[in-house]
Amino acid sequence: MKTKTVVLSLALAFMSASLLADDDCNDPMTNWQPQENLRQKLEAEGWTVYRIKVDDGCYEVKGEAPGGFRAEASFSPASLMLMELEREDDDEDNDDDRYRNNSEKREGTPGSNPSAVPRNGIVSGRPSVTVE
Amino acid sequence: MKQILSAVGLVIALASALAMPAFAQAREVTFTIEMKNYGGDGAYLALYLADGEGQYQGTLWVAGEKSKYYSHLSGWARGSGLNAVEYDGLTGASLASGRTLKINLDLDDALIDSGYEIRIDTAVEDMRDHSDDIAVPLTSESAGQPQAGRGYIQSFQYDL
Repeated sequence: MKTKTVVLSLALAFMSASLLADDDCNDPMTNWQPQENLRQKLEAEGWTVYRIKVDDGCYEVKGEAPGGFRAEASFSPASLMLMELEREDDDEDNDDDRYRNNSEKREGTPGSNPSAVPRNGIVSGRPSVTVE
Repeated sequence: MKQILSAVGLVIALASALAMPAFAQAREVTFTIEMKNYGGDGAYLALYLADGEGQYQGTLWVAGEKSKYYSHLSGWARGSGLNAVEYDGLTGASLASGRTLKINLDLDDALIDSGYEIRIDTAVEDMRDHSDDIAVPLTSESAGQPQAGRGYIQSFQYDL
């Protein structure tokens, strides 16, 4: 009886952990596509794939994204849909701050050069922005 | 001397002729985003243009300057591939709870009433991400009409 309770508690604990983890992929394994399919899809999109592994039920890819930056990305193993994309150069400022003097604490990598002129062909000139 | 003046005049006339169509096609658009009092840290948001099927076409503005958080703006991140060329010169500070952001920019006139949409993704640290907090058609008819957001945005409108 006692064993049954412990097993049940453990089962519930694992279930709630997986429910709380938003970034996990929950595709049933029977629906998973081979990693090779993902590699071919990404290479066709312009990626250079360094490696693919399974993490939290997702396919986790390390490589160079079409934009020319190193990236780590998660994909749904069934649909091969992009779940998360992270630039690798941003990892440098992840948690390194804990090794730094507080006065040297970094603010992180800026998204772009704020004084740059837009280059995407949609917006001409730098927008003017106000916050109230 | 006369010849030089004529040549200068011709150059100026040609330059004006080339420049005028570019100005004539641009339309000044003001986007106003009012945030809810959601009570968290500053919100990251991506304002972008999509076609009628929701496919990303271009970035209009990104509030929030740390690129490591950009992946939380998932619809925009997928479309732009987080390629810096897409958002260079179009980023600024994140937007605090309850504040209002106004963005004035010049858009190609041909984009208006042509089946495009304005979309906004929002994200706040330790809170839920909202892809398509706003999705409204870019039309003369919708201009000036406030739209309620589905996430952290209280209301959004654009004026042509």
